[in-house]
Amino acid sequence: MSRGDSRRVRLGTWLGTASLLAGSLTLGVGSVSAQAAAKPFKACVVTDTGGINDKSFNASAWKGMQDAHAKNKNIAVSYLSSTSSADYVPNINTFIHRGCGIIVTVGFLMDQATQQAANAHPKQKFAIVDDAPTGLKYHNVLALQYETNQAAFLGGYLAAASTHRGVVGTYGGMSFPSVTMYMNGFVAGVRYYDKVKGAAVKVLGWTPAKGNCTLAKCDGTGTFVGNFTDQTAGKTITANDFAAGADIVFPVAGSVGLGSVAAAQQAGKGHSIMWVDSNGCVSDAADCSWFIGTVAKGVEPSVRDAVLAAASGKFRGGTYLGTLRNQGTALEYGGIKVPAAVKKAIATIAKGIEAGRISVNPNSYPVK
Amino acid sequence: MSESPVTEAPVRASRRRWWHRFTTRSPLLVTIDALILGFVVGAVVIITTTASVLDAWRAVFSGWSAFPHACKITGDVVGSAYRAMFTGAVVNPQIFWHAVTTGHGWTVALTPLSETLTYAAPLIIASIGVGIAFQTGIFNIGANGQAILGGVAGAYMGSLVHLPTFIHLPLTLAAGIVGGVVVGLVPGLLKAYTGAHEVIVTLMLNYVVAAVLIFTLLSTVLQQPGQQNDISRNLEPSAQLAPLFGAASGLRVNWGLAVAALVVVFAWWFLERSSLGFDFRVTGANPQAARASGINARAVIVLVFVISGGLAGLAGIVQLAGTTHYLDGGFLIGNAGIGFTAITVSLLGRNRPVGIVWASLLFAGLGVGGRAMQAATGIPLDLATVIQSAVVLFVATPVLVQEIFRLRQTTAGEVRLATSGWGS
Repeated sequence: MSRGDSRRVRLGTWLGTASLLAGSLTLGVGSVSAQAAAKPFKACVVTDTGGINDKSFNASAWKGMQDAHAKNKNIAVSYLSSTSSADYVPNINTFIHRGCGIIVTVGFLMDQATQQAANAHPKQKFAIVDDAPTGLKYHNVLALQYETNQAAFLGGYLAAASTHRGVVGTYGGMSFPSVTMYMNGFVAGVRYYDKVKGAAVKVLGWTPAKGNCTLAKCDGTGTFVGNFTDQTAGKTITANDFAAGADIVFPVAGSVGLGSVAAAQQAGKGHSIMWVDSNGCVSDAADCSWFIGTVAKGVEPSVRDAVLAAASGKFRGGTYLGTLRNQGTALEYGGIKVPAAVKKAIATIAKGIEAGRISVNPNSYPVK
Repeated sequence: MSESPVTEAPVRASRRRWWHRFTTRSPLLVTIDALILGFVVGAVVIITTTASVLDAWRAVFSGWSAFPHACKITGDVVGSAYRAMFTGAVVNPQIFWHAVTTGHGWTVALTPLSETLTYAAPLIIASIGVGIAFQTGIFNIGANGQAILGGVAGAYMGSLVHLPTFIHLPLTLAAGIVGGVVVGLVPGLLKAYTGAHEVIVTLMLNYVVAAVLIFTLLSTVLQQPGQQNDISRNLEPSAQLAPLFGAASGLRVNWGLAVAALVVVFAWWFLERSSLGFDFRVTGANPQAARASGINARAVIVLVFVISGGLAGLAGIVQLAGTTHYLDGGFLIGNAGIGFTAITVSLLGRNRPVGIVWASLLFAGLGVGGRAMQAATGIPLDLATVIQSAVVLFVATPVLVQEIFRLRQTTAGEVRLATSGWGS
């Protein structure tokens, strides 16, 4: 090694040492800043493994929190995303330690972690989206549940009234009651349309089993992707439905539905998609012209109201059941024009479902 | 000493030698420098994605007077993020001091460390499995599938059988190992007897096992009673790895850490002291020489996959029995795939047991600290992944690190590329 070489300025080494020093300084000097004078009410959401940008429940729950903040500026909102089920417990604990006024957890996967935390911290308020915990010791958890088959019934009616070819399709992500409930209500709506209009619109992708469809059990046979992520599979299933004569497809599979949109675009005008969970013309605005409507689950308003109630001291544990009546589920129209007469008929049917005059059980209607 | 006459005073010479050493490229120094670079990359990501920082720098374009303010904002944002990361992963000095002086709040004070160790334990086990295969020249990209099936097999044993703890827990862990071995044997036998490339086979088997996971979770045998979703029964308490300091402590760190420690000791003994481990390393260093010296190549290949797969399966069941106690459709899927993380951890730890322990602690700490950072500052947890990936990238390219930090070339041989030998 030459002398010149050994005299080279070891710039990098110095930089490294300096940055290490700077790092330790920041760590040592910095102290947790004092809390703001007017103590805000902390509302916190722990997402499941879908993450905050899933364009589905997690995103809706987060939007509901932000809506609550917009209504009551004293509510400070924050979130933690989970990468696996092992993260649920520490994420909830982090928020308990940070003094959150209410902790919102999302989905059945967080059921156990939420129950454990709720039973260990009786004074901590929780709300859980789309799940009904059964082992609670105290009244500190609000379970947010949604009877989506009511709005899906309206969606089925809309699809049956809008199809030109007399065939519509649906498919699900996985065969869970929270998924099949949509498909079941959709089929019921089509069958109801067939009955009152004397039509013979067929549904591909879901055949309801005998008996009632509830959030605990909603059986039948149908088409499923097997996950909530494979958009290519969604595209294939939808293209097959189109080939089999359908012109409207209702995917109940989260973002997999984007594959259906792609299939509709490929098939061209006259093909359309019924979106699910949260208004497609908002969450996927660019494709709005391909949506005939959305069968929405009212996660946003229910989370917002739970947070607002907790902030004003009016929180009560128990179960919130989203229905057409309390806008916990709703049919929203998309970018495709629907005749006023159909909209009027749907509004009337909605009233009938709310009043219990119209059954959303597909087995109440003859199969065409 | 003798070949270069020392002219300076001995003290100066020794100091200079120390400095010389500090500026000469060595595996440890490259790793430390890669760590620094990883955090620099993370800082750049924070700066370019935080609106308040960008606004402050935009103001600099209209006048240099805004420069100190922009620097301060940048320092504050980056500093608070990394501070939250550190206090969330290791210890918060204030809370710790509060616990020391008052005797209360020990749970909160020790939670960060407990969490880091909780995440590190299965990662250490899986990474050592991958590392042993790497040292033999075998690329086990299927550790994740092996770990998942280890979890599934362990869930069967742990939730459907009723036995006292002293026999139930070992049987559950053994079932996890067997599950991993079964998945590992497929590529092992295929490579040994048909020459099929293990990278392709192990990689593809991950998908098969992920499908098996969903299938078993939706079968009524393992599914949690009263659930229609993809979630399994809970492991019996007798099959769970209990918290190290008792359930009342509120700390999640569990006996899985002890299992990981045993695995580290076993791996060190196996690689450094056992004759089979020697055969493994010789095969990894030079397959032709190994064959010429009478090492049975087929047996080595199969045994590597038995050990590597078994350790991955053990990692899966340790994760299950130590943290969640039930399986769901997201078990070790996606970002949570410790079998995939194990590949990078193993590379970072240079496939050696002790190096892997440090690398696992770093990765676990970044993940745990990232969560605290997200809760405190709103910067997404994904930043931790960015830093992890950047560190591994720099470790894998020692020449780049050497140039950035202007390190001396080692005189005694090259630092071997951690990833050399791919496909050989």
